[in-house]
Amino acid sequence: MSTSTVSTPAAAPPVEQRSALAPLGKPFAAVGGVLGIVAALLPWVTFGLKDGNWPDKSTLQFFDAPFAVTGFRWHVLLLGVLILVAAFAPVPSKGRVVRALGWGLAVVSFINGAYITVKGGGLGAITALDGDVAFGSIVGLVGGVLAILAGYGIGIELPGQWKVKLSTPVAYLVLLVSFAAVLYAVAAMLTTGGVGTSNPYAGAIFLSFLGFAGGVLAALSGVGFIRWLSVLSEEHRVFSVIVLAACALLLPFTEAGNEYWMTVAANIGIYAATAIGLNIVVGLAGLLDLGYVAFMGIGALVAANFSGAATAHFGITLPFPVAAVIAGVVAGIFGAIVGSPTLRVRGDYLAIVTLAFGEIFTRSAQNDIGGITNGSNAIPGIPPLSLFGAEFNKSFSIGAVKLPAGVLYYILIVLLVAATMAVFANLKFSRIGRAWIAIREDEDAARAMGIQTGKKKILAFLIGATLAGLAGAVFAHKNGTVSYESFKFMESVTLLAAVILGGMGSIPGAVLGAALLFVLPEKLREFEEYRLMIFGLALIVIMRFRPQGLIPDRHRRAELADEDVGGVPVDEVHEVPKEAKA
Amino acid sequence: MSVLLQQLANGVVQGALIALIALGYTMVYGIIQLINFAHGEVFMVSSYGGLATFTLLPDDLKKSPAVALPLMFVGGIVIAVIVAVIMERFAYRPLRNAPRLAPLITALGVSVFLQEAVRVWYPNAKSNLPYPKVFPEGSLTLGTINVPWTGVLLVVLSVGLSVILQTYVNKSRMGRAMRATAQDPDTAKLMGVNPDRVIVLTFVFGAVLAGVAGIMFGGYLNNINIDMGFQNGIFAFTAAVLGGVGSIRGAVIGAFIIGLIKTLAGQYMPGGTQYDYVWIFVVLILVLVFRPQGLFGEPERVRA
Amino acid sequence: MSTPVLEARDVSMVFGGLKALKGVTLTLDEGKIVGLIGPNGAGKTTFFNCLTGLYQPTTGQVLLKGKELPGDPAHVTKAGVARTFQNIRLFPSMTVLENVLVGRHSRMKQGPLASLFHGPAYQRGERAARERSRELLAFVGLNNLDDELSRNLPYGDQRRLEIARALATDPAVLLLDEPTAGMNPQETEATQQLIFRIRETGVSVVVIEHDIKFIFGLCDSVSVLVQGELLVEGSPETVRADPRVVEAYLGKPPEEVQHDVEAAAASAEEEQA
Repeated sequence: MSTSTVSTPAAAPPVEQRSALAPLGKPFAAVGGVLGIVAALLPWVTFGLKDGNWPDKSTLQFFDAPFAVTGFRWHVLLLGVLILVAAFAPVPSKGRVVRALGWGLAVVSFINGAYITVKGGGLGAITALDGDVAFGSIVGLVGGVLAILAGYGIGIELPGQWKVKLSTPVAYLVLLVSFAAVLYAVAAMLTTGGVGTSNPYAGAIFLSFLGFAGGVLAALSGVGFIRWLSVLSEEHRVFSVIVLAACALLLPFTEAGNEYWMTVAANIGIYAATAIGLNIVVGLAGLLDLGYVAFMGIGALVAANFSGAATAHFGITLPFPVAAVIAGVVAGIFGAIVGSPTLRVRGDYLAIVTLAFGEIFTRSAQNDIGGITNGSNAIPGIPPLSLFGAEFNKSFSIGAVKLPAGVLYYILIVLLVAATMAVFANLKFSRIGRAWIAIREDEDAARAMGIQTGKKKILAFLIGATLAGLAGAVFAHKNGTVSYESFKFMESVTLLAAVILGGMGSIPGAVLGAALLFVLPEKLREFEEYRLMIFGLALIVIMRFRPQGLIPDRHRRAELADEDVGGVPVDEVHEVPKEAKA
Repeated sequence: MSVLLQQLANGVVQGALIALIALGYTMVYGIIQLINFAHGEVFMVSSYGGLATFTLLPDDLKKSPAVALPLMFVGGIVIAVIVAVIMERFAYRPLRNAPRLAPLITALGVSVFLQEAVRVWYPNAKSNLPYPKVFPEGSLTLGTINVPWTGVLLVVLSVGLSVILQTYVNKSRMGRAMRATAQDPDTAKLMGVNPDRVIVLTFVFGAVLAGVAGIMFGGYLNNINIDMGFQNGIFAFTAAVLGGVGSIRGAVIGAFIIGLIKTLAGQYMPGGTQYDYVWIFVVLILVLVFRPQGLFGEPERVRA
Repeated sequence: MSTPVLEARDVSMVFGGLKALKGVTLTLDEGKIVGLIGPNGAGKTTFFNCLTGLYQPTTGQVLLKGKELPGDPAHVTKAGVARTFQNIRLFPSMTVLENVLVGRHSRMKQGPLASLFHGPAYQRGERAARERSRELLAFVGLNNLDDELSRNLPYGDQRRLEIARALATDPAVLLLDEPTAGMNPQETEATQQLIFRIRETGVSVVVIEHDIKFIFGLCDSVSVLVQGELLVEGSPETVRADPRVVEAYLGKPPEEVQHDVEAAAASAEEEQA
């Protein structure tokens, strides 16, 4: 990276008032960082908890107790050091970075402190009760809060912009390393805290890890690295998809390589593929689809009825690839039908049309319309896929290496996701994709550029629905049962939440969003009850504070967030001329 | 024939219920062009609020409907208003200048959150809860038609309140401010109208009507469940669109049409009541496609 | 006499009870620049919207090279009429280059399948489009800004980008709606030169402008629109000499009238000197 020029826009106005905190910025950051380091070295618990001693159980496998500081305490230590570095090294958008790291520190400290308090039976567990001193979490929390304040004191500027251009081999290397790191993080995310039920602290450890990962990611994003990386991966999108798929195919060989996580990962993959399809409609073309999961349902029903299951409506059993293609085509046709009101209906109203369609689907499926859905009895007993005699739900070995059961489904689904990503990426950077984005940005201007907006919008619906139909076909075989229950309004909301959380229009975003939304419930069994409530809350909070999502699309970024806006505000650009209003 | 008349009467009662909810949709949309998805849940919350009020009453008061019922109305409406005001203040207001997709998604989030909050936190909300028997019992019989007194009360309340609302919006100072804000918020602001106050008030009115609907829903159907908000919310939204979003009169007329479609389709269309829901959606789609401005709305003009 | 490249015959537009345009006729000969002036609310932009198919004229017809234009903006653009907007309407979060590439849309052939698979023919088409777009960006004077988001451009550059985007549709006629609004004198001068150069490439131009001096220095012929009616039409000299034009402008707010009159007088003096 020889030609590195890191710059922050000069004219960036400080968003927060800095007057009161400004002189305290760096001192606060210094104290916060030091407190983080101290907190990591302090004891956190005054006595053993019912289920065993807290810090002993809080190790992450890959942070295995060097220097006797274990697990989350490593994260706390690292965050403390990073805060110090960010405060005194020449870092772009310093305030933003320090604030992000501060949040990470505060969240990790708070979550661990709160769990110890609850599990340890009161505040005594984190303060000095029986002679011991265990102020770790409190010190950490104070350090975190100081760092957040320091961030505001230093001033929240626009994230850094990297104008580094890399030669192709170097770019490949950077991408390779980054994606390997992503794989590592995903494997860690899956395995952290173990499998829900076996470890009583799994939820806490997982949340704490998320706090750490979130803080570091936000800091990287503040520095400008994430944006730069996403631009880079879009430039080399074919390579990126291949490497990501290869990395994903290595997952069975990591700690996550057991049947449980293969199944979870495969489920995530199915929803990720569907979410990417939805992302075409919502993220690229800007059309809100509230009934999208119905297309997945249609695909699943088609595949189920051709699968040879006992309750299948059609007497024919088709080979899976043929059934999958039919599923995609049928779903696509429905997509075009549902999308056709776009010719006459704009914006919010279209969202309602899609919602109405989704409800019609659910109701009809529930009542066994045409005898093809088997109503509330569902279609059970769909045979698992098999290839050359290897059944996809059984374990499988290559030579001496025995791979866990479900690994073949996992591989199939990784390929499906990779294909979906390739479709999305190729379309996005094509004449059609540009037309979609143009329609999203300004429909009248798009028409004035010769784009037949109606046709293009229907096309978006058609392609999105086809992808959902394909994912549905895989879903049918993998789950073995197809019931209308799997395709209700809430599933559409969940998919939409995945797309929005990850970042509209962004592919890695859709995968990350789907991963988070479908891993979280696995990890947080104790919060199972609150899953949907948390989704609802998350939608509100994201729209309020980070409408561009976790990994924003370069195009989307500026549009949804005022914080990042430079130049002319959207409202002015889109102002309706007086003459047309009158 | 008697079946048809009975179904017509049922449809009118359903329409009255839908109208009370539809008014909230139509007013909010008229002022800030937001499809307040969560409005159906405000209706649902009020129903549970009324039930909670009743549960908290001392035993001797529970036995006296003349005291219990008004208190339930007060409880339900107060809860609905609180929820609506909080929702406006913290979820929608910060997004007032955001792209249109953002508040719509937020509304979706609020809707899911409210529904889940009640499901998780309200005791036994996972199953249908019986509503207290404090409503007038028996029914009005006209020839072969039989309408429970709760249904009659619902129709009276619905029509009465919408007339009051219409009058208020047309005649009062605040109503004028509302109409001005709906037409052109910036100019209204220059004329000394405080748009925040007008918008909050709009949400409050919607919540009061939804609150009345929530209590009456329990009284008419005898039990409540957490899905009631979503379903009836969609019906009400359809009614608002059918009547022309923004028009009070349109919403009420639309609601009665929807109520009639629901009962008549349930009786006469293939599939019966299992598909009545579907027919309403079909009507919704047809209206949106062929007359998106609704029966009483102005056509939208292309901007350039 | 040859067929005019663009001809509006007796175009009327009624919104509800409001007659926005009353029988406006306009003729644009090949290689000419026609100016359209008039007070605010005279119907200039409405007229543009009729020309580009965004509005369907209530009566009258619009002909391009003697053939009636289809009533849909996308088809009008494809037929060869491009436009810019009074309030800049770029695609704000697309890059500069992408904005121009969107303009190429109707001149590119790639369908959904080609867009999906990016075959060799697709690649060739895409490369050609990029090359043409860069040429156009250079033509309007926006070099080395390809990857900048269009919303981040300064105002004047946004106007020029909008012109490049319109030119990317390979138009026979370019309609410019207030291309110098909000510009300083240097930028206005540069825009004038740019429009001359556009004409040299064989594109005929219609310009809406408030800046009377700019219009008189630029156009081969000027039409004055007042309250939806064509008041005067002719060479800049004829129009400037017409007393009705000044009178019509008295319908505007006093400052603006004064400004316009002064500007017109100044330009007249300049030319006499």
